[in-house]
Amino acid sequence: MKQLTRKSIGEFASKNTGYVTFAAMVVILGVLTGGGSLRLLSWQNLAIAEAVRALAALGVGIIIITKGIDLSLGQVVGLCACVSASLAQTPDYVSSLYPGLNLPVIAPILAGVGVGALFGLLNGFLVAYGKLPPFIATLGTMTIAAGLQLIYTHASTVGSLKNEYKVIAQGFLGPIPNMVIYVAIAVLFLWVLMNHTKIGKRIYAIGGNPTAARVSGISVKFETMKVYLMAGVLYGIAGVLLSSRLGLANALTGDNMELDAIAAATVGGVSHSGGVGKVGGIVVGVLTLGLINFGMTYLGVDSYYQLLVKGFIIIAAVYLDMRRAA
Amino acid sequence: MKRLMFVFLAVLLVAGAAFAGGQQDSGMEKVTIGALIRNTDEQFVADYADVLKKLAAEKGVDLKLQDSRGDMALQLDQLNTLLAQGVKYYVVVSNTTEATADIASKINAQGGGAAFSNIQPSVEALKVSPNFYLASSPESVAGQIQAQILDEYFKANPEKLANGDPDAIDAIFIYGQLGHPAQVYRTNAVQQGLKDAGYKLNIVAEDTANWKPDEAQAKMDAWLAAFSGEFDVVIANNDGMALGAVESLLTAGYVDDPNDPSKDVDGDGTVLKVPVLGVDATQVAVKSMDEGKLFATVLQDAVGQATTAFELAYMMATEGSATGKMAWGLSPLSSPIDEAPANDAAVVGQCYLVPFKAVTLDNYKDFMN
Repeated sequence: MKQLTRKSIGEFASKNTGYVTFAAMVVILGVLTGGGSLRLLSWQNLAIAEAVRALAALGVGIIIITKGIDLSLGQVVGLCACVSASLAQTPDYVSSLYPGLNLPVIAPILAGVGVGALFGLLNGFLVAYGKLPPFIATLGTMTIAAGLQLIYTHASTVGSLKNEYKVIAQGFLGPIPNMVIYVAIAVLFLWVLMNHTKIGKRIYAIGGNPTAARVSGISVKFETMKVYLMAGVLYGIAGVLLSSRLGLANALTGDNMELDAIAAATVGGVSHSGGVGKVGGIVVGVLTLGLINFGMTYLGVDSYYQLLVKGFIIIAAVYLDMRRAA
Repeated sequence: MKRLMFVFLAVLLVAGAAFAGGQQDSGMEKVTIGALIRNTDEQFVADYADVLKKLAAEKGVDLKLQDSRGDMALQLDQLNTLLAQGVKYYVVVSNTTEATADIASKINAQGGGAAFSNIQPSVEALKVSPNFYLASSPESVAGQIQAQILDEYFKANPEKLANGDPDAIDAIFIYGQLGHPAQVYRTNAVQQGLKDAGYKLNIVAEDTANWKPDEAQAKMDAWLAAFSGEFDVVIANNDGMALGAVESLLTAGYVDDPNDPSKDVDGDGTVLKVPVLGVDATQVAVKSMDEGKLFATVLQDAVGQATTAFELAYMMATEGSATGKMAWGLSPLSSPIDEAPANDAAVVGQCYLVPFKAVTLDNYKDFMN
C-alpha cells in the first residue's frame, strides 16, 4: 500500500489546489455557520446563484486557453438577456417593448442565443482575421453591446416576463434546480470537446504554441473563430437564463460579469499565458468564488470587506498557480 | 513547497478571519432585520445605510445589511441566503421596480414582510400581502421639484431665457448612469414638469456622466467650447455631477463678472451666468450654494426614508404587524396619488410618503451641518 507521506499530501495539494481550497472552504464555512451552510437549501441557492456565472466563465475560460481574453462578456450577456426578455413579456403588460406580442417560449431563447453567437462571431473575426489584440477588439465590442442594450431597451427595464419563460431557470427537477442541469450539460459537452476531440487538442495547441500549431497544419484563424463563437453561444445561454431567473432584464444586467467570470476561470487554474486550463477547474473556480460570496453573506460580513477578501483570494490563487507552473 | 503551503494557509486565514469577524452575536431573542441595499456607491444609499446601522444599534437589532453593488442577481442571491437563515423582516432598496414583486413573494413565502425605499415597489409587490410597505419619496418628485425651482427662477429673471432660442428653455442635461431608475425618473419628471409649466424645452446638449463629478466636468468643458452663450440652464441628475459642471463653468470664467468671480452681478442668486441644479443636497453641494455657485438642489430625505422603513420592519418583527400604524411620525396614505404604486386604492394604506424638499437660496442654511 502506498504510504501517505507528507510529501505525497503536499504533491496532491499542489496539483489540485483548486479542489483542495474549495474543500477547505466548505469545511471552514460549515463550522462557522454551525452546519447552516451545509443544508440542501444552501447548496441549491449557491448552485442557482453561480449557474449563469459558470456558463460565462466556461466561455471566457476556453478563450483564455487560446491566450485570448474577452471583455465583452458582461455586456453581451446583458444584451442577450434584454433581447430574450423582450420577446417573453406577458402580452397584456402595458409597458411591454412589443405590446401584444405572444411568441412561443422557444423564440426568445433562440433570439438570445443568436445574439450571443453573432457577437462571438464578431469577436472571433476581429481577433483571428482582423489581427486585433483580443483585449482591444473585445473592449470595442463590449462598448458596442453596452450601447445596443441602452438603445434596444430605451434604457428602461424589460419586465413582466411570462411564467413559462421564468420557469426555465426558476424550476426544479426534484431537488435539483433546472439551472444545475443546464450547466452540467454545458460542462459535459465542453469536457468531451476539450479532452477527447481534435478540436480540443487544437485549442490547447493554439494557446500553448501558436507557431507550432500553425506549422503542424492547424488553421489557427478558423479554430480561434470557433472558440469565440462557442463562447458567444454560452453567453447567449447565460443571458437567457439570467433574464429568466430574474424575471426581467435592463441595461445594467450583466454589468461587470466579465470580471467575475475571468476571476473564476483564473482561480480555477486557467493560465493567462495560454494552453493551460481544465473545464473542471473552471467550475471549481466559479464555486470557490461563489462560496465566498455566499458564506460572507450568510455570516453577515460587511459587503466592503467581501470585496477585499475576494481580491486577496484571486491574487493568492494566481500566485499558487504560477508557483506550480514554475 | 513550504512557500506554497504558506500561501495556501494565508488564503484560508484571510477567509476564515473575515468569516469569523463577520459573525454576529446571536443574543437571546434578538430581533433580526435584513437590509437589502442597492448600491452604497451612491451618496443617498450610503446615507440611508448609515441611518439603518445607527437605528439598529440604538434598538439592539441584529441588522444584516447587504450591498448588492447595483447587481439585481446578486441582490436576489443575498435575499435567498438571508431567507435560508430564517430572516423574515426586511428593509429593501431594490435595484429595479420590476424585481420587487418577486422579492415580496419570496419573503411572503416565509411569512415575513418588508418596507421598500428609494426605488418604488410595484403595485403587484404591495398586493402580495399587507405586510409590504412603501416608505419612499418617488424619484420623479425630485425632477418635479427641479422644474418648480426653475419655473420660479425664470419667472423672476425672464431675461435669463435670452440665450439660444429666446422662446424656449435651452437646457443642458447631465445624466446619471443611463437606464438607472433615478436617472430615468428624475430626467423624465423635470422635462415633463417644465413642459407642464408652459415652457418650450430645447435640449442643447445631453449626455451621461455616470454620476461622477470628473466626467461631468469634462463633458461641460466640451459643451462650453461648442455652445457658449446658447444655453439657459444646466440640469444634473445628482449633486456630484452638478458640482463638476460648476467647476467647469468657473474655470472657463463663465460667470457674471470674470474680474470678480465671487460677485453675483445680476442678482439671480448665482455668480455663474446660468443656474446649475442638482439633486441630493449633499454637504458639499449646500456649501457650494453658500458660496453662490450651485443654484439649487433637492433633498431626498435619507433619514426620513430609512427611519420610516426601519420602524415598519421593526414593528412587524416585534408586534407582528405594522398595519395602520405611524412610522417616523408619518401616517399611511389615505387616498391615492398620481404615481405608482400609491395610485392603487387597494394598497394606499401600505404607502408612507416621505417628502422631498427643495433646497434653495431661501432655506439652504437649514441643511448645513
